[in-house]
Amino acid sequence: MNNPITPPRWADRFLEWFLPEDILEDVQGDLHEVFQSQVHATGLKQARKAFMLSTFHYVRPYFFKRRKKQTHHTNLLSLDMLYNFFIIAFRNIQRNKIFSAINIFGLATGMATCLIIMLYVQHQVSFDRFHEKADRIVRVIFKGSVQGEKLNEAHVMPPVAQTLLADYPEVQQATRLRQYGTPRITSGDKSFKEDAFAFVDANFFQVFTLPFLQGDPKTALLQPNTVVISQSTAHKFFGNENPIGKILTFKDFKATCKVTGVIANIPDNSHFHIDVFASMTSLPEAKSASWMTSEFYTYLVLPPGYDPRQLERKLPQVVEKYMSPQLQQAFGMNYSQFEEKGNHLGLFLQPLTDIYLHSDFMYDLGPRGNTQHVYIFSAIALFMLLIACFNFMNLSTAGASKRAREVGIRKVVGSVKGQLIQQFLMESILLTSISLLIAVVLVVLALPLFNSLTGQSVAFTSSGALTLLPGLLLFGLLVGLLAGSYPAFFLSSFKPITVLKNTLATGNKSIGIRSGLVVVQFCISIALMAGTLVVYQQLRYIQSKDLGYNKEQVLILGETWVLGKQEEVFRQQLLQDPRVLRVSRSGYLPAGPSNNNNFFIYPDDDPAQQIKAIRYDVDDQYMPTLGMQLIAGRNFSPQMATDSSAAILNETAARALGWGNDSLDRTITRSTNEGEKKTYRIVGIVKDFHFRSLHERISPLVMVLSPNSGTMIVKVKTADTKDLLASMKTQWTALTPDEPFVYSFMDQRVEDTYVSEQKIGKFLGIFAGLTILVACLGLFGLATFTAQQRTKEMGIRKVLGASVPTLVALLSKEFLKLVLLANLIAWPLAWWAMQSWLQNFEYSIRLSPWLFASVSVAVLLIALVTVSFQAIKAALVNPVDSLRNE
Amino acid sequence: MRRSFLGEFEEVILLVVASCHPEAYGVTVWERVQVQTGRKITMSAVHATLYRLEEKGFLHSNMGGSTQERGGRRKRFFTLTPAGASALQEIQALRTKLWQGIPQNTLQLFGI
Repeated sequence: MNNPITPPRWADRFLEWFLPEDILEDVQGDLHEVFQSQVHATGLKQARKAFMLSTFHYVRPYFFKRRKKQTHHTNLLSLDMLYNFFIIAFRNIQRNKIFSAINIFGLATGMATCLIIMLYVQHQVSFDRFHEKADRIVRVIFKGSVQGEKLNEAHVMPPVAQTLLADYPEVQQATRLRQYGTPRITSGDKSFKEDAFAFVDANFFQVFTLPFLQGDPKTALLQPNTVVISQSTAHKFFGNENPIGKILTFKDFKATCKVTGVIANIPDNSHFHIDVFASMTSLPEAKSASWMTSEFYTYLVLPPGYDPRQLERKLPQVVEKYMSPQLQQAFGMNYSQFEEKGNHLGLFLQPLTDIYLHSDFMYDLGPRGNTQHVYIFSAIALFMLLIACFNFMNLSTAGASKRAREVGIRKVVGSVKGQLIQQFLMESILLTSISLLIAVVLVVLALPLFNSLTGQSVAFTSSGALTLLPGLLLFGLLVGLLAGSYPAFFLSSFKPITVLKNTLATGNKSIGIRSGLVVVQFCISIALMAGTLVVYQQLRYIQSKDLGYNKEQVLILGETWVLGKQEEVFRQQLLQDPRVLRVSRSGYLPAGPSNNNNFFIYPDDDPAQQIKAIRYDVDDQYMPTLGMQLIAGRNFSPQMATDSSAAILNETAARALGWGNDSLDRTITRSTNEGEKKTYRIVGIVKDFHFRSLHERISPLVMVLSPNSGTMIVKVKTADTKDLLASMKTQWTALTPDEPFVYSFMDQRVEDTYVSEQKIGKFLGIFAGLTILVACLGLFGLATFTAQQRTKEMGIRKVLGASVPTLVALLSKEFLKLVLLANLIAWPLAWWAMQSWLQNFEYSIRLSPWLFASVSVAVLLIALVTVSFQAIKAALVNPVDSLRNE
Repeated sequence: MRRSFLGEFEEVILLVVASCHPEAYGVTVWERVQVQTGRKITMSAVHATLYRLEEKGFLHSNMGGSTQERGGRRKRFFTLTPAGASALQEIQALRTKLWQGIPQNTLQLFGI
């Protein structure tokens, strides 16, 4: 032992902890004195033992009582003290108006952003959870790969529901939904096109929880020609009359249906939004036994606690048993032969609650959520909060020197460390509470903007917000503790003697931490800015990319099939207008909603080489109207009778068939579901054009001459589109007064394809702006503080002959170094993140270092402006003033 | 003023403090009590009693006289207050009165 003549350390510690402070000194002294004399008398070991024993004897009622009495004096939560803390806190806020404003505003911005995003995320994950059986419902989906072409569909074949229900006892209920265009529905003098229309099985309302306002969910749709409508639809058709028993006429199906039920409007967070449910029994197709068409969204109810994967493992048997024979019929091979060629098909299950966020299907009901967006937004929320908290910490520690004297005085008059920590934490919680209030106001103000940007209807006053309230308070408390903890511990650790002697080198220790925080803040801002730029560049690339067709000055007239035989008349009328260059009749559009047909074909010289292509039914005007280029052969011609079995390939199809540019006059054969075969002769090759979004690689496409009604593509040449549309509408109304004139613009359709990317771009832009704003607020605060601190130094330097620019550079240098460092860290992060985002696109820009360089320059400039404002101010001060300040 | 009750041990401590004057602090009191009474007592009992007597107003304390073996800690010296002195005197008077009240030879019966 190094220092043998001391009593056991822990016994001493125990005394120090246990004994009231006012008697500690003499008691401990007495014990030590006795110990020392015992060391001489009985030796160290005995003395230590005796010391230990005597310390334990102090654990007796008298000293316990005395302890209690003492803590009473410095009760940590006395009201007077709290009151004093509040006063001091308010005075502090008032004294440092700029600091406080920066703090509160920065925090409020961060919290508001975080709150909005939390609301958004809460809304996104709440989809479809309102159904009572939500955790037991699964959707049957169809996935596979044919000729290397991925199939991924949310709907399955008509018999799937019935088959699974019959063959597998674990399937308790099965129900289907089939969309069927947008029929015109008439009742009396009211007539609407209903785009939220579907046929559903009679048990649909037993599977899904959609409360009935009128009618019986169990029996409403048992009879053919019955419909269940939503409250808003009922109001639309019947006003305040009782809708039950009323008749709705469906002209397109030549059917009249009786209203048998009214449901409450479907909540916003449902993956389907149907207003008119017609009974499936009215649809002959529903009884089809075909395993080759899939149009039916099929939902199963499984037993509680049952793992859907168990059932999923049995589904290949279904394919083998039911689909294989029909495959044999259609393609001349059964499923195992089909698989040998590297193809596979299968049914899978998807939990109901995964549908909204976690699916990516060719055909789905309504818009899907975007998991990626949820992650990106959550990350941004966290970043914003971090940046705001860091600001708070930075500014509080930086301002610490101003509070140092207060801490010193408080300690001298008897504050203990715990009390000071408590005081500063309370101060920060007070500030965060004020910020939280402002944040809530900001959220309420900003929500409409946010909703219009996301297309969501996130609400703050809905029931969700109420459940958020305790969370909100907790959140404020947490942010207060998080942001205030470092300053609190930092400030309370000041030694009164150094502080009061004014020898405290302010924040030498804390400069490291402050710098670290600044670096993190700017790292995040830079990464977000770079991300924004990349998104915008990609969007610009999309807009300017040669799509292989001309999207400018192209009008799409929808629903022209209502004209019936007069469609051609209308076409001719349109052509008489000199502003109309060409009109094509085809519903196959390269952007936006379009007809779509899978087309399994094989080249006649090699029948084993079957490929899956997309078929476009077009007329001879199609390619000229859309400005597509032929690279070989010729366009269809109405003069040639043989063209009814002619086909034009795109380049990709020509390559896939193994012919390349040598495709002309060769033949391909298509086998239909029913086993019929049809042969086409290739007359031309069209240059590849993007008939799907740039997310997807161009796949094989075959155009055949098969005029189809329903949509007209009109190439126009006019500066005054409005006027042209008006005259078209007049012509339309003359032919069919009842039907609405529906049109869209091709370029708009292309834009709409990238709505989600545009949203992300806007968001990143806004958030990048906000983060940089908050980060700069913090930097500004720090610069202000440093400038104040170094006033005297600047004065002396100036007296000794330093020029103003030198001084500004001196003051700004430190901060700019930090921002530069942040750049270095942010680059690889942003690079990696954006590279993985661009992977969503088959066709994308290359990330260029110049982009990052420009972001860096921009951020450096912003930082420079922020800092130099204060730096210049400090450098311009007359040394007489700055040196006199005492 | 209602008189505080003095226990036997308290009385002993009070007497020892008086006899140790002006050097009465924890250690001296503790040693003297043990020497005088021959009892083995703990330091904590001495301290608790001293403080209690101070609270009752019989003792007064002030700090001073730190030494090296105490690790630089000061001693708490106790002195009798007037109330403490009169309390001792009253006890003494009471005892004397009671002694005088014992009939002759009563104690001699026990061979004392």
